[in-house]
Amino acid sequence: MIHDYFNFAILSVRHRALRSWLTIIGIVIGVAAIMALIMVSVGLKTAIKEQFDLFGSERILISAQGFQGPGTLAAGLTKKDVETVKSIGSFKYVAPALFRQAEVRFKNEVKFTSVSGFPAKDFEEAFGDIGVDLTEGRMFRKGEKGVAVIGFRVATEMFDEDPRIKSRIKINGESFKVIGIFEEIGNSQDDNAINVPMEDARVIFKEPNAVDGIMAQAKPGADIPFLQKRVERALERARDDENFQVLTAAQILDQINTTLAVVQVVLIGIAAISLLVGGIGIMNSMYTSVVERTRDIGIMKAIGATKNDIIGIFLMESGLVGLFGGIIGVALGTGLAFLVGFIADQAGFSLLKITINWGLILFGLGFAVVIGMISGTLPAVRASRLKPVDALRYE
Amino acid sequence: MPNNLIIHLDDVYKIYFEGQESEVRALQGITLKVKKGEFIAIIGKSGSGKSTAMNLIGCLDIPSRGKAYLDNQNIANLSESSLAHLRGKKIGFIFQRFNLIPSLTAKENVGLPMLFQKLSRTTRLNKASKLLNLVGLQERADHFPAQLSGGESQRVAIARSLANDPELILADEPTGNLDTKTGEQIMDLLTALNKKEGKTIIMITHDTAQAQAAERLIKLRDGQILTDE
Ligand SMILES: Nc1ncnc2c1ncn2[C@@H]1O[C@H](COP(=O)(O)OP(=O)(O)OP(=O)(O)O)[C@@H](O)[C@H]1O
Ligand SMILES: [Mg+2]
Repeated sequence: MIHDYFNFAILSVRHRALRSWLTIIGIVIGVAAIMALIMVSVGLKTAIKEQFDLFGSERILISAQGFQGPGTLAAGLTKKDVETVKSIGSFKYVAPALFRQAEVRFKNEVKFTSVSGFPAKDFEEAFGDIGVDLTEGRMFRKGEKGVAVIGFRVATEMFDEDPRIKSRIKINGESFKVIGIFEEIGNSQDDNAINVPMEDARVIFKEPNAVDGIMAQAKPGADIPFLQKRVERALERARDDENFQVLTAAQILDQINTTLAVVQVVLIGIAAISLLVGGIGIMNSMYTSVVERTRDIGIMKAIGATKNDIIGIFLMESGLVGLFGGIIGVALGTGLAFLVGFIADQAGFSLLKITINWGLILFGLGFAVVIGMISGTLPAVRASRLKPVDALRYE
Repeated sequence: MPNNLIIHLDDVYKIYFEGQESEVRALQGITLKVKKGEFIAIIGKSGSGKSTAMNLIGCLDIPSRGKAYLDNQNIANLSESSLAHLRGKKIGFIFQRFNLIPSLTAKENVGLPMLFQKLSRTTRLNKASKLLNLVGLQERADHFPAQLSGGESQRVAIARSLANDPELILADEPTGNLDTKTGEQIMDLLTALNKKEGKTIIMITHDTAQAQAAERLIKLRDGQILTDE
């Protein structure tokens, strides 16, 4: 029976092809928007989670904040602050870092990219803790100098000829030997960076004292928020100012997720409005269809159609219109999501991976059908209530 | 109540907008008994209540007063859906304006009454083919109503009216939109159905010659039966 209604609906939609197409546009846009939105935000959440893992949940990051540099009184972070944090004593290691832009030369080709200085003795452990591996070579160790571990893109894209293990590169004029290549991390910042021992960084950046950031790795199971408070208090006391920021991974994740949630609410709102408009479009078209086919309804009733038959036929039809809209919307939305993923990848953010989720696709289709049917309910009921005599007299 | 009665109208009134200024007394006390196998013609001036009477006989409407029986069942006691079911099963309608569904092919139109009786698709298609054959339109099976001539359309409508093997065929001016010659073909078909298949036929007509062909002639005036012979 359902099958017959379905055939009937197809015939009728076919009969009114142009109007049917116009009707589904609203549904198409709404479903496409929702699909793209969900796919991208799922991808984004995964990417953020990966980034979060990269940062490490037991890590506290201290950076300078406020005006710095010549002419301002506020000072950035220095070696002294590193000692202050170390003196708290609850950390596995406290590693200062310098990260600046530098001129990098390889075989007569010159590029500018970010170069990070990191204490040689903590390097291996710090990257090991967050699960970043090398594709080739090794990390630098305590006491080593003049060596560099390069990011994935430095080794694969930056130069015409790719640097390899044992290649020599010059950073701000100083010579370094490449001893390791990182695996692809997925964000262009990290993948385009070069890591060198702290002592070397101090030389190439001519910074004997300054520190751009401090990574403090807590011992497993430590109370991170409590540690964070202690670091803040110790630094405030030692520096006598508040020109610094102490962040934990959880806080950063919170910030990002809050922003993401706001964006999502706005976009879902837009998609919902578009679906509503689509639904009203279907409803309007179904009402027109009921009026246009008043005679047909009378005929069908005369030859034995019950109220439920009429409701079934019209609901099936509006559901079918919804389904067509859904199919196109799902295809469009999926395409859109992949486009966003592709653009992000081109922009260096390859962590964002869009995946096809059949459950989501089914949901999108089902949703469109349901919207179609809901929109068709009132017109269908109205059609079913027509009295056969009146419907037959209708011109 | 005698069992060979298929229709029994008992002092039936149909009054539109009752009690209002625009009140229309379309039927005013009609009593009519129709036996199985009869061929009845109803004539009367425009507005005399012919179609209204036909609608009550066909269970498309319910009397304002009086009782209407179809196969000894009082139609006032039936629910809307059982009325629809009964209508589809026992009555075949033929209209002046053919009333085919434009989005369906001839064959699909003929199959439609069977769909509402929840018959299977194969049964429907087989039966529809046979009926189109009967009215001589097998090669028009896949044509849409817009592609058919008036006579062809009415033959499809006749095939459709036979879909559920109804005992009663109600035809409201079946030849009203056709030229004389095509009209005669339709009349021949209806007469054959009555003579060979034993169908009870009630037909409204304006054509006195056609009316003479029927066994029984009922004349309406102002919603009342003037003569019944
Ligand atoms: N649904 C309705 N609402 C109001 N008035 C109606 C309705 N149906 C019929 N009438 C009125 O009832 C009267 C009888 O109408 P009916 O259609 O039965 O006449 P008829 O004999 O079939 O005429 P015709 O030969 O023109 O078809 C007419 O005055 C008509 O206007
Ligand atoms: Mg009439």
